[in-house]
Parts: sequence; C-alpha cells; structure tokens
Amino acid sequence: MHAAAMRGGVLALWWAVLTAVLLALVLRFEGFPPAAAREAGVADHAFRLLMLMASPVFALVVAVLVYSVVSCRSQGDPPEPPPYLPEHPAVPRVWFAATAALAAYVIYNPGLVGLAEMREVPLRALLASSPASRVRLASLADPDADLVVRVRASRWLWQFDYPQQGLTTRELVLPVGRRVRFEVTSVDIVHSFWVPAFRTKIDAVPNLTTVLHVTPTRTGSFQDTVALRVQCAELCGVGHGIMAAPGRVLDPEGFEAWVAAEQARR
Amino acid sequence: MRALVPMAKGLVYGLVGYVLGGPLLAAVVRAAGGGFPFDLELATGSFAGTVGWLAGVGVWEAWARGWFGLPVRPWPHDDGVARYFRFTTDHKVIGMQYLVTFLGLFFLGGALALLMRWELMHPGMQLLTLNGYNQVMSLHGIIMIAVAVAIFLGGLGNYCVPLMIGAPDMAFPRVNALSYWLTPPVAVMLLASLLVGGWDSGWTVYPPLSAVNPPGQVLMIVAVVIFGLSSILGGINFLVTIARLRAPGMTWGRLPVFVWSVFAASLLSFVFTQYLAASLLMVLLDRVAGMSYFHFARGGTPVVYQQLFWFYSHPAVYIMILPAFGAALEVLTHFARTPLYAYRWVVGGFFGIVGLSGIVWAHHNFTSGMPGWMHAPMLVTTEAISVPTGLVFLSALGTLVRGRLWLRTPMLFALGWVWNFLGGGVTGIFNADVATDLHLHDTYFVVGHFHYTIMGGEIFALFAALYYWYPKITGRLYDERLGRVHFWWTFLAFNATFFPMFWAGLHGMNRRIADYPAALGGVNLWTSVAAFVLAAGFLVFLYNFVASWVRGPRAEANPWQASTLEWQTSSPPPVENFPALPVVVGAPYVYGMPAARHAVVAAAGGSEG
Repeated sequence: MHAAAMRGGVLALWWAVLTAVLLALVLRFEGFPPAAAREAGVADHAFRLLMLMASPVFALVVAVLVYSVVSCRSQGDPPEPPPYLPEHPAVPRVWFAATAALAAYVIYNPGLVGLAEMREVPLRALLASSPASRVRLASLADPDADLVVRVRASRWLWQFDYPQQGLTTRELVLPVGRRVRFEVTSVDIVHSFWVPAFRTKIDAVPNLTTVLHVTPTRTGSFQDTVALRVQCAELCGVGHGIMAAPGRVLDPEGFEAWVAAEQARR
Repeated sequence: MRALVPMAKGLVYGLVGYVLGGPLLAAVVRAAGGGFPFDLELATGSFAGTVGWLAGVGVWEAWARGWFGLPVRPWPHDDGVARYFRFTTDHKVIGMQYLVTFLGLFFLGGALALLMRWELMHPGMQLLTLNGYNQVMSLHGIIMIAVAVAIFLGGLGNYCVPLMIGAPDMAFPRVNALSYWLTPPVAVMLLASLLVGGWDSGWTVYPPLSAVNPPGQVLMIVAVVIFGLSSILGGINFLVTIARLRAPGMTWGRLPVFVWSVFAASLLSFVFTQYLAASLLMVLLDRVAGMSYFHFARGGTPVVYQQLFWFYSHPAVYIMILPAFGAALEVLTHFARTPLYAYRWVVGGFFGIVGLSGIVWAHHNFTSGMPGWMHAPMLVTTEAISVPTGLVFLSALGTLVRGRLWLRTPMLFALGWVWNFLGGGVTGIFNADVATDLHLHDTYFVVGHFHYTIMGGEIFALFAALYYWYPKITGRLYDERLGRVHFWWTFLAFNATFFPMFWAGLHGMNRRIADYPAALGGVNLWTSVAAFVLAAGFLVFLYNFVASWVRGPRAEANPWQASTLEWQTSSPPPVENFPALPVVVGAPYVYGMPAARHAVVAAAGGSEG
C-alpha cells in the first residue's frame, strides 16, 4: 500500500510539472496569424482557452505514458505478471464524472459562449433559437450593419457588389470599425468565402444567400498581410487553389476616398 | 498459373457484363432513337460488369448451380496458395485476402500522397497540373477511406474474431466471401475512372460540382455504392457471428475487447452505410436522369447532400477507429501482463460512441449556411463524445500503470497509438467548437486532425495488431530489431509530417489546393520532406514481413503467452480452427491470477491458458 502511494505521488508530480510547463507555453503562445476583425479576437481567445484546458488532459496522458514506460517496464521474456489487485470501483466513476464535468465546461465556454460572441447575441437568445425561430431568415433582415457587401462566387472568381455605393469590384475593400454584412451566394457550384485574418467563413451556395457579419478592427492590405485575402475554402474544381481575391481594410476617410474614386471611374 | 483461373474467368465475365450492360445496351437504345448519355452507359455497364465478375469468380459455382439443380462440382479444398485467389469460405483466407488487398491499396494511396507532397513542396506548380492535383487528391482520399473502413474489419476482424470467440467460421461464410469479392471491382473502377477524365470532387463528392464534373465521377460513385454493399454485408456477418457463434461459456462479459469493438463498429456500418449510398445515388440520378436534387441550374439544394453525406460519414470514422481502439487495448493488456483495466466501462464507452456518433454529423457543416439553430446542439453532442472516448483512455492508462510492460514491437505501436490519438482527440475539440472551427474548417488544421486520428490512431493500432498477430497468421516470427526500427522511424516521421499541418492550417493554408501563398513555403517544404522520410520507413516493414514469412523462425502456438483463445490453437490455425470446440470458463485476461483460466481447449497443438 505504501509503495502504491509512493507511485501515485511520483505520477502526480510528473503530471503537475508537465501541466505547469504546458500552461506556461500556452499563455505565451503568439503563433496566431495577423488578426484584423472582431471575430478574429473571439476565435483566437477560444483557441487559447481550449489549449489551456487541453493542457492538464494532455499532461496527464503523457505523464502516465512516460511514467509507465520508465518505471513499469520489466525484464523477462515476457515479464512475470504482477499479482492481480482488484480494481477500486470508485476510480472509473470519478474519471467519468471529471471528464463529463470538463466536457460540460468546454461546451459552455468557449463552446456556447464563443458561439454567442461570434453572432453578437446574448447566450440566452442563442439557446432560445429553435427550428421554428428562423434565425437564418431573421439575420437576413438584421438592420444593424453599417455596410452591405454582396459576394458573388463563380468558377473561379470573386465579385463584390456594394449596393449602397453602387460599386462592383474584384477587390474586397472595407472600412475599419464598421460592422459589415456579407450576403454571399454562388452562380454555379458551392464555394466558400473565407478571409483568414477575419477567422471566419461561410459557404457560397447556388440558389441560397448566406449571411456573415464581420467588423474589421485593423487597417492593412493583402500586400503586407497575406492572411487578408478572400480565399475559396470549398473544393470547386480546377481553379480552387487559386480562387483568391486581395483584401484591404482602410480607415473611414480612406474608404470614403476609395468609394469616391471608384464611383468617378465608372 | 492454375490458381489464377477463377480470377481470369471473373475478369472475362466482368468485361462481357460491362459491354452488354453498357456500350451494347446504349447502342441498342440509341439505334432505337432513344437517348442514352455516356454517364448512364458507364453506370449501367459497371453495375453489370460487377455482376459478371462475381458470377465468374465463384458466386455462380458456390450458390447458383446448386440452387438451380445443376450438377455441383466438388468444392475444392486445398492448403496451397491457390485458395487465396478464389471464392472461398474460410474466414482466415478471406481475412488474408482483405489484408493483402488493402495493404496494397494503402501503399498505392501513400504513393499518391507523395505525388501531392512533391507538388506542395514549393509554391507554384512543380509536377502536376491543377486538374491533375485534384484527381490525385481525390483518388488518395477515397482509397485511404476504403482502406481505413475495410482493413481492420475485413482483414483482422475476419481473421481473428471467429478464433477469439471459439467459432469454426463466420456465421455466413459465403456472404463473407461475397463481401470480399465485391471489393476488387471497386478498386478497378476507382483506377479506371482516370481513363474517362477522373474526378475532382474529393472523397466527399459535394454537388453541384459532382453533378457537372468529368464522367470519372460516375465510376467513383458506382464503386463507392458497391463498396458500401460489401461493408453492410460484412457488418451483418460480424453481428450475427458474435451474437450466435460464441463458444460454450463465452458470455458477453468474457468477450475480448477487440471482439466488442468489432461488434460496435459493425453495428455502425450496418445502420449507417445506406445513407452514403442514398446520397451518392441521388447525385448519380442528377447526372444521368435529369433529376434536380442538387443541380444548381435546376433549382437543386446542395446543402441537403452535405447533411445526408455526413449522416453516414461521421459514424464512418468510428467504423474506422473503434476496431483500432479494441486492437490497441488488446495489445496493451497482453503486453502489460495485467487484465484490461475498467473492461466493462470501456465496452460501455464503445456503445456511448455508437449512440452519439449518429447525432453529431452537422459539425462538418458549421460554415455551410445550414439553419443557425443547428450549430449549438451539434456543438454539444460533438463535444460530449469526448466522454465515452475518455473511457478508452482510462482503460489504456489504468492498464499501463498497473502492469509490467513488455516493450516488444506491438506494444511500442500501441503506446504510439496512445500519443497520436491523444493529439487527434484534443485537436478534434477545436473543430467541434464553432468559434474556432469557422476559421479552421477546410484548412490543413483539419487535415492534421484526421491524419492524427486515422493514420496516427487507426493505422498505428493496425501495425500493433499486425505485429501482434503475425506469428499466429503466418506461423513465423518477425524480426524484432527491424520491428523496433520500423516503429521509431514511423513514429518520429509521422509526427514530423503531420504536426506542422496544424500550424499551416491556422495560418491560412486551406485544404485540397495545389498551390498556396509563398509565405507558407517553409512549413510545406518541411512537411513534404518529412512525408518522404515517413514513406521510406514502410520499406522496413515490407522487408521484415515478407522476409520473415519466407525464412523467419517457426512460431509456436502461443509465443506471447497470451490468454485469449486465438493463441490456444496452432500457428497458423487449422481450417476448422480448433480440434474440438473450446469451453470458456473465465474472464479473457487472467494475468496475475494463478488459479484462473480463460478457456479449456482440447489438446493438439495448443498450450492452455
């Protein structure tokens, strides 16, 4: 019994040290690509939170793995089996309860909390949505977007219509700090509208308009930030890999000037 | 040479079937003034060709002659190589047929992966055209999916399950043979699709792309539907075999854990495979019959396909991984020389996975434009599946800490499985979480995740199981030193290849592309080099298995001194498996219990356990 307690103590120590190392690494993790939208902040926060919660789990498994290889390996071909000890019935129950509790927390945060933040709705409203509540149609009529951009995907081109400005472009240009509603559709097959710097995407589906809200938070352009591009993310045949369009986020004055210049050019 | 006669006959009948059912039928209809699109000709031809192949290869002989009252020729029984090339009912022969066929396909799929990695080594185009890349990628995808579905159940399941439950064969031996002989036409059709333009929609075949791409798509759809039939028949066979053919005393509570995992996976393939066939046949009807399920120009709704497709294809990943769980746990318990920890909990975990796997499908569709209310419930069910999966880890870890480890090659691969599947499982949460998945979906993060689960999880467990059962199957011992080299080579190169994919995906490398922004050049060069190193490691495995089979030392009945039934008969086992029906008297893993026994097997060749 004493030996078993010793072994447990050594294992717990391994687990604690490994967890501490992993947590320190995760907290200092700076490996995200450039973020240029409110949604990117939500996604990166959720990503870091998941890494934090995965750390003790990962550490436990690795600790047992390394510990057992180091201290439970035996000479002998095969080793003499250790005398059988009955299993303590509480261990699986505790394990089950602990993993269920952890899963429940991950489902709550960043799961449902992150989903609500992505959609900019209170968690309560998210949970109240049901097949009958027509969330998708409701969001089509969502009035609080500052700018509407209609995205038209085709094999293998992106086209952006600015109905409020009367513009059509092949480059996605947005003002910083304004909530943009993308109304996305396709004229042929399924594509997917993705801007890596915004950390979100929505499919472009023929005969359907899908909606995505994004609020850019940082100016920049595709030329200096490769993540600021529109990239097709759903396999669409020959040109799928090269179906990209440059993106640019301007300050409000710069955006007004760009609109004026584009309108003058027409 | 005579050994190849049945297959040659199958080939000839198959070609005749194809010509009659395809080009000839089309010519007749066209001559009569009707329309018969080339897509339809391919579809009817390949179904008819499959029927012809089956008739020629042995179904006619085994089933139809007797039924129609024709003189039945004596069923050939021989121990030579010929039995591996014909329609035969011995589950061990069928298991070998599956194993060799699908290992061959595994290496073919791997070679295709190398073509892709060559192309992706640098930004810009190196080797392939854009279209060529899509075809190679699609073929790699479907071949590896087929391997992942069939190699465990069809190969090791067939070989080991009847032995492990003390049965003389599977419940429906001829259906078992049919399941296997349905698969060669599948492989032929997938490869032949390249002759008619290939297809470029990946293994997922999303319409409307799949409704308008080259005719190779038709052959792929027919191939996958036929493969699905084989999968369903195999599933039924395992369910009935395990339910009805257990040896006296082999209660459900005494089943080895691998048998339980095969039972759980078979339940999934029996219940869910039909949805894949249904969704693909709807695409086929869009193409050949002018239907408008998904076709954009006819007002179709492509999103519906994605729901139907994943309604099978998510459970399918558990068809792949459940037998791997079972096999890895089997190896862990025998090589830790201690009973499997939390046996009843892990079996419960298998069925928790089976139940939940049917209600998680739409986590593949978070960005598809499906109704917004579906995100929250699918996030909840998907993340809940980590709880039953956690029981698999409980069992593995508990067994390890309570055991005395015997670090032979099978054990090394099983330990590697724990590490790799941990990586696959943890990254799965990032894909189940909507806030992170909206970015990560369809990127290399997902590619990294499913290669960690399927290659790092299933294929590592497969190698653990192959090394473990090699002496039983071949009657020879493999070379332990080469086995260890293979493990460390594969383990290190696997992680070096697939871990950087998480970074690439996070940084904006999307899936299924032949070219990418120059900023992603470094990580892709690293991944490509590592992939070639990984591939080279398999040569060690091939050499070891082939050379040891030819001139390895003879294996005794039970070289691992393992307790389960398959080790209590000679290596390899006789046609009838056991000289007399074994009687099971106790739990499957009786290590460290001097008075306990799993089974009593009448003499002739086997030690008792």
